[in-house]
Amino acid sequence: MVFRKTMREIVILVGISVALAMVVNFLSPRGIALIGQWDTSKGVITASPTGPEAWKPEQINTVARAKEIFDDGNVLFVDARSPDSYADGHIPGALSLPVGQFDERIESFLNRYSPDTRIVTYCSGRTCEDSHNLARLLSDAGFTRVSVFIDGFPGWEAQGFPIG
Amino acid sequence: MGNLRQSIFKNNWIELAARWVLGLTFIYASIHKILSPADFARIVYGYGLFPEILINLIAIIIPFLELVAGFALIIGVYPRSAAIAINGLLAAFIAVLAINLIRGHEFDCGCFSANQSGYSSSPEVTIARDIFYLALGMLIVLFKGNRRSLFGRLISA
Repeated sequence: MVFRKTMREIVILVGISVALAMVVNFLSPRGIALIGQWDTSKGVITASPTGPEAWKPEQINTVARAKEIFDDGNVLFVDARSPDSYADGHIPGALSLPVGQFDERIESFLNRYSPDTRIVTYCSGRTCEDSHNLARLLSDAGFTRVSVFIDGFPGWEAQGFPIG
Repeated sequence: MGNLRQSIFKNNWIELAARWVLGLTFIYASIHKILSPADFARIVYGYGLFPEILINLIAIIIPFLELVAGFALIIGVYPRSAAIAINGLLAAFIAVLAINLIRGHEFDCGCFSANQSGYSSSPEVTIARDIFYLALGMLIVLFKGNRRSLFGRLISA
């Protein structure tokens, strides 16, 4: 039976693949959880990395809370999106620091702001990770009070809050 | 014409070349996905077709299936079955791309690189490329005769 033989071989190939995948994912520092967080109603989507590279910043989970912090003042909003998106509209007073240009810009940023500046990063909302990556880079650069506004500019704009 | 078709499916050098091209392509395509599963999972999410509970499992397992099947094709172990598995993957890729193309859903194919965000060849080009690979896969599946192995020996089946 060619069919049975083929089925058996495919089962063996798939079995080896699944076993290898599980072992490597379990041992790898870049491994991810077996089930990720892909529901935007529950927060920023993520594959939920499990290794030491996993990093969780403080998150601002509602637009209302972000507005309170904004109204308090004494905070620096940092926009992780592209310069074009920033030019099209941003949270008033926010500074543009596209995550892709971090290396070129961090020097002048460090010269202008002290490490204990309260920083809130944001990008395009819950399907975008740039604000998290930027928060991590800023935190690695020595900033100690960095948090992420997860609803980002779209969330802010949808509430009709002022736009810069 | 009949003779040409017959000779393509009987020439074991052509079959060996098809296995190597397909095998190396799949191994190459699997590497970056294995190195950054979180990025690949985001791409799977971006297709907008799979239930949340399956996204990570797809991102963990599919690259290894590409790797193992590609490696099997190259060393000539279970060549026909490995080609069937790869054809199954290709058919699934084509379906995913075509569905998103038809419904106008923007996405990153993530075929060869998960890290160059913004980069992606057009879905039309990707589908055409996958159909070419599928043809190579069919050639391997339909091949009649003794296959050449890695070290020049002949393998059956």
